[in-house]
Amino acid sequence: MLQFIQYLKGYVCIRVWGYSPERFMNLCSNHDIFLWNIENHGEYYTMCITVGGFRRLKSIVKKTGTRVAIQKRCGLPFFVPKMKRRKIFLIGLAGSLIFWMWMSTFIWAVDLKGNYSVSNDVFMDFLKENHVYVGMKREKVDIESLEKKIRQDFDIVTWTSAKIDGTRLEIQIKENEVGTGGGAEAGTGTGTAEKEENKAGNEFGSDLIAEEDGVIVRMVTRKGVPKVTVNAEVKKGDILVAGGVPIYNEDATVKGYQYYDADADVYLARSLKKTEALPLNYEQKEYTGREKKEIILGVMEKEAVLRIGKVKYENYDKVTDKKQMKLLDNFYLPLYYGTGANREYVITDKVYTKEEVKSIFSEKLMKIVNGLEEKGVQIIKKDVTINKINKKWQMDMHFQIVEKTGKNVPIVPEADVPAEEAQEEINE
Amino acid sequence: MMREKKQTGKQKLERKKEIIVESLKLPKDSMLGASIVTVTGSTDAFVENYRGILEYTPETIILQGKTCQISIVGKRLSIDYYTNEDMKISGRIEMIRYHNG
Repeated sequence: MLQFIQYLKGYVCIRVWGYSPERFMNLCSNHDIFLWNIENHGEYYTMCITVGGFRRLKSIVKKTGTRVAIQKRCGLPFFVPKMKRRKIFLIGLAGSLIFWMWMSTFIWAVDLKGNYSVSNDVFMDFLKENHVYVGMKREKVDIESLEKKIRQDFDIVTWTSAKIDGTRLEIQIKENEVGTGGGAEAGTGTGTAEKEENKAGNEFGSDLIAEEDGVIVRMVTRKGVPKVTVNAEVKKGDILVAGGVPIYNEDATVKGYQYYDADADVYLARSLKKTEALPLNYEQKEYTGREKKEIILGVMEKEAVLRIGKVKYENYDKVTDKKQMKLLDNFYLPLYYGTGANREYVITDKVYTKEEVKSIFSEKLMKIVNGLEEKGVQIIKKDVTINKINKKWQMDMHFQIVEKTGKNVPIVPEADVPAEEAQEEINE
Repeated sequence: MMREKKQTGKQKLERKKEIIVESLKLPKDSMLGASIVTVTGSTDAFVENYRGILEYTPETIILQGKTCQISIVGKRLSIDYYTNEDMKISGRIEMIRYHNG
């Protein structure tokens, strides 16, 4: 801090020699002239002194019989006049400053985080369609509408956050971890939506029907009339719980129906068969160890590859490692650099050994079991056989499972019972 | 003879002064004009309450205090700053010696 103030005020480094430099220093301190960095060089002394102090030295020099010479001028008061003479340099400096400030008003990098099923390419294409691209003006990015658009266009995205960090647009998304497609438990979100749809679309409520063949294991009915009992065998499409609740007359005849959306937890035991196949042979890439390296330089979307000679390999993989240049932490520039390697490989045909087949199949089985368990399916029994059939390895899996079933289907009322009438009667 | 007497008289006065300052528990540096030397390790020394420099070479710095002379002996000694109030000496300090009178 002190040095900064000294720099602002300006100071001179002087050389003092002559009869009594010590007396010179004492007189300076008596006159409140600040001296620092005093060094003895044998015949002469060097020290730093403020500009104001230097101007008052004349009488002291006379008294002590010493001589003073300026060695160096330091600080802002000396720097400014020097700069005034170097106009081109100043213009260049100002120009570059303005250039950087102007450059910082653009987006030079787009970062995407949290995407697992939406690939980067798909997302970048989506951004391009919505006029968000590298090199656009920062102020033109409408973050709120962009977030909204992401949520609208990608059903799987449940949460988005976009922010501009320096010259980088950072988009974070969160995908729906419970897949939207299929599964008894998986579709809880869509299930409720369906139910609501039924309510709105059909005033006669809905029945709950079986989705698969099987035997009922447990059943809890919340709304509607159960049509099946535990241990009953049902076929796909059978009504499990009826949405129409009958209203009886005094003589036990049906007067009419009151309609609800049937709601129940019905667990069905059934068998599930799955097969997995694996060819006898497979192709394996074997890297020969030969590779050709290259340097990649890029500006915006154009790239230049620097390489000695051509890549003469028949089959090769290209591995590139590209980095974007940035200033400090967040100032991304539209310049890229990196290295690439072209690795040669040879394809060889190989035959699976029994152990390999076993381990591959057991991995597949694990995946299937995990997938079922994630859906809330309970596996009671499983039979797995691995055979060689038709020049192929085949794994047959036979599961005994218990899963939740039930699908709401709108009720179509019988024609001879007019809806209004039924409604009126209920009101009575 | 006269001179010796005068000196002893001066010394007596100083002695009396010291006794008064000590009994009243007054700060010695401001009352007696004693110099304060603060040494940090063997590389830095701050000196307050002095009159001026008598000698300055890379090996010795002799300072004139209000009551005595202080000589700082060492190697590559240099003065970082020097004002009317205090000064800072840096280098390899080997010895600090006081000369009375």
